[in-house]
Amino acid sequence: MTFELSQLFVIGIGYLLALFAIAWITDRGWLPASLVRHPGIYVLSLGVWASAWAIYGAIGFAFHHGYNFLSFYVGISGVFLLAPILLAPILRLSQTYQLSSLADLFAFRYRSAAAGGLVTVFMLLGVLPLLALQIQAVADSIHILTNEASRNSLAFWFCVTITAFAILFGARHTTPREKHEGLVVAIAAESLVKLMALAAVALFSVFSVFDGPQDLHRWLAEHPETLTMLYAPLADGTWHSLILAFFVSAVVMPHMYHMAFTENLNPRALLTASWGLPLLLLGMSLTVPFILWGALKSMPGTDPEYFALGVPLAAGSPTMALIVYIGGLSAASGVIIVSTLALAGMCLNHLALPLYKPGRNRDLYRWLLWTKRVLIAAIILGAYLFYFFLDNRNTLTELGMLAFVATLQFVPGLVGVLFWPAANRAGFLSGLVTGFTVWFFALLLPTITPVAGISLPMFGIDFQPNATNWHTAAFTAIILNGLVGGVVSMITSRSDAEQRAAETCAVDNLRRPYRWKLGAVSVEDFIKALTGPLGAATARREVEFALRDLGLEHAETRPYMLRRLRDQVENNLSGLLGPSVAHDIVDEVLPYKPLAEGHGAEDIHFIESRLEDYQYRLSGLAAELDNLRRFHRQTLHDLPLGVCSLGTDREILGWNAVMESLTGIRASDIIGSWLHNLPEPWRRLLTDFAASNAQHIHQKPLAIDGHTRWISLHKAAINLPSAQTQTQTGAQVIVIEDLTDMKTLEARLAHNERLASIGRLAAGVAHEIGNPVTGIACLAQDLASETESSAVRDYTRQILEQTRRIDRIVQSLVSFSHSGKQRAQGNDPVELAATVDEAIALIRLGRDGRDFDFTNDCDRTLRIAGDAQRLLQVFINLLNNARDASTPGDTIRVYTRPRDDAAATVCIEDSGSGIPAELLGKVFEPFVTTKDPGKGTGLGLSLVYSIIEDHQGHIAIESPAQADTQRGTRIVLTLPRWRGTDDGPAESHREQDA
Amino acid sequence: MYTDRLLLLFILGGYLLSPALIEWWSDGGTAWYRPYLIWLFLIFFSYWIGKSRDLDDV
Repeated sequence: MTFELSQLFVIGIGYLLALFAIAWITDRGWLPASLVRHPGIYVLSLGVWASAWAIYGAIGFAFHHGYNFLSFYVGISGVFLLAPILLAPILRLSQTYQLSSLADLFAFRYRSAAAGGLVTVFMLLGVLPLLALQIQAVADSIHILTNEASRNSLAFWFCVTITAFAILFGARHTTPREKHEGLVVAIAAESLVKLMALAAVALFSVFSVFDGPQDLHRWLAEHPETLTMLYAPLADGTWHSLILAFFVSAVVMPHMYHMAFTENLNPRALLTASWGLPLLLLGMSLTVPFILWGALKSMPGTDPEYFALGVPLAAGSPTMALIVYIGGLSAASGVIIVSTLALAGMCLNHLALPLYKPGRNRDLYRWLLWTKRVLIAAIILGAYLFYFFLDNRNTLTELGMLAFVATLQFVPGLVGVLFWPAANRAGFLSGLVTGFTVWFFALLLPTITPVAGISLPMFGIDFQPNATNWHTAAFTAIILNGLVGGVVSMITSRSDAEQRAAETCAVDNLRRPYRWKLGAVSVEDFIKALTGPLGAATARREVEFALRDLGLEHAETRPYMLRRLRDQVENNLSGLLGPSVAHDIVDEVLPYKPLAEGHGAEDIHFIESRLEDYQYRLSGLAAELDNLRRFHRQTLHDLPLGVCSLGTDREILGWNAVMESLTGIRASDIIGSWLHNLPEPWRRLLTDFAASNAQHIHQKPLAIDGHTRWISLHKAAINLPSAQTQTQTGAQVIVIEDLTDMKTLEARLAHNERLASIGRLAAGVAHEIGNPVTGIACLAQDLASETESSAVRDYTRQILEQTRRIDRIVQSLVSFSHSGKQRAQGNDPVELAATVDEAIALIRLGRDGRDFDFTNDCDRTLRIAGDAQRLLQVFINLLNNARDASTPGDTIRVYTRPRDDAAATVCIEDSGSGIPAELLGKVFEPFVTTKDPGKGTGLGLSLVYSIIEDHQGHIAIESPAQADTQRGTRIVLTLPRWRGTDDGPAESHREQDA
Repeated sequence: MYTDRLLLLFILGGYLLSPALIEWWSDGGTAWYRPYLIWLFLIFFSYWIGKSRDLDDV
């Protein structure tokens, strides 16, 4: 039974077109995002691991080596069962730093373009056998189905077709940064096809070759040798070697790295894959024994590696044979497309770009795209040539083992990335070269040339690789690789950049970034600098990408954020050009300035933000230390003093809550800025203080928004304990005390004291003046009664008038001086409105009283706790002042404001000339008056002030009262409300009296 | 981080103890599915551990 070649060609092309259609509709967004990013799709896409070897070679392997075939599935399942430990760190690194391949990862970790280049060359060499395996499997399967003689031409046309599809799948767009969602879904679909094809042929075997499970069971019981051939090879000891080989090489294979990390659309899906992929592979591997037993019973004429095709062919089922063919094609095309895309990216980043950089006038994205397409074609051509020169001499298993042992050589380097920060570039490179040299001479050379093996009689080495001893060469290579790498790492040193990268990569280390000083001070500086190597359009686009990734504005100037921007630009360029080229470009055009002491300070803020991200991953002592850190940070943040910490270069590292309220500047806006970026007046105050030798500045006045605040400053040097010894770092902490409230209180106390002393003086003066004035008045009256002269009488009248005036002044002085002694008097309910009515009535009795319109709008229910007579005096004085400042016909209004239960607010408002601003702060002082000389004593408001203070109240003046006319004065009195019953005073007042 | 190291030690121990497991599996006779049972148990174990944790926890 044979097929026409054209039939298989059309079926193959049709199948690949169907896959491309799936990718296309996914890229167009026609499939829901929830499906595309579903963990199940990710798990299925990882099924790319099951290459054509899983369809064909695994059955041959089971035939020759029994259950050892399971190691191919169990090894990678082991890695994924440990995904949270082994794979999650790599996923984080690859996504954070845009590391799209193993070469990127090594170049990033070992800060070496040579590492990236060497890994790429070795990966190419190592993966060529795997690609050749796929080509051979497809060519052989077509050959078996068609009996077409020329396998090589079949293979060639398969390569041409798959090249076109690889370009369509992975190098269609000009946006290398984006993930290929279409590719992921198409590979997931391929895995389903593979699983269904294997399941179909296994079921076919059970129900068509045998008569169902019972018959199979009976047949197995009758042919125990078929089970023995599965168990027996387990005893030869290769199981452990195979498990280890497949366990560790699973991650480093380019197609697995690409699907697991580079094309990962949903990081959480890795957790699902930790059990989902083992389950998928269990399903695939479960089919192998059934197909093998079916073949053993039906004895097809094919090689054991193609039993999957042989069983349906022997049973005369072309449909089933076609299903297996599609399954094999699916597996082979998946591996070739994904591996080639990954390898093309590696070659581009680590071989092409370091050797040739496109000119700044070229469209970088277009150049990258076309170079990648050429590389895809070249790699598949290389794989074909490798297949061609092998001339079908090797089995699929031999080719597979050759590739797996090659990629095994990257494992010591990967251990260095994740678990051993002391590993360095020299160690990695020397170990890798050693391992690959052993692999090349012991395994590759005997495979591709007539040389049988290595023979070094002087060292007692005579090794000829075969199916049973290949693992000896594999483990010799990897052990020498690890040993040489380890020893060289220990005896050689590593650069600062490499040390930082090692800390970044190590799973049990937090990155400790340093605050280097960046030359660029604005986003435009970034664009200008990157224009050199990238061209203006690309530079602007990449900087805009990075700004968008970080959520920053174009106007960003904070050095902390500019450093983050630099990192992000480098990460994004790493995804585009590879980490080595990206690092070189960014280092060259956006260099850090060397600091005077040669070392940057640690970027405390960045470390804190990283610790915030890591907090749920900390356990035990680390979690306790983190709690302690939070406690100390919160203590500083909630300290009732302003705290601002500064780095050596005067970058603001800390800004606590009090600083925020004092300055009105949020911590998130200022942390990471230079001190001189602060707005005035804080800029001058803090920069001068930070630069001065003074450790303290006491009670410095500072004008903020037209008000004076009183500030005390203290500073101390910060000696970081992270250094080996406590050294002067130049960093400082500045503590700011706001003394404004205390200063206001002091001023009021001084004012009261001044008033009190004036009162004492007034009392003395009144006493001393009163007696002689009384004498003068008596004498004047006597003189008036003694004389008949009208002139003299007139003089004596004037004398009496002046003495009465002196007497009024003296009485005012006496009254003022006694005011402070009456605190304990008068604590009764006072009807506020009635008191104001009485005051208005008394004013109206005066000479000018009737010319003004007095209005009392006070709350009639409001009662004040106080002395009615003294409050009456307050209102008379205030209304008198209002009348004197107003012109006849004006309205003078007294009203109350809604206030809380404890206090009442009364306002006396006129529309007069107002009080000059320069006198506002002095009007409560004795003898200060705005009235014309002789019209006021300047004691009225002082008296009012004293009475209000005695009532535990408050007086304030607002002038001008009317903002539109800039006229009028409003006196605002705040007085305690009566809160007791009519039977007795309020409790609080009882206490006061006591 | 100590958890990870203990787990890695546990895995190494499992790897070293696996000969005993393989011996049990090799004595299976017609119970050829024994390795799949062990494998299935590991998958359920992994599912059970993983269902309650987040990627950030690891």
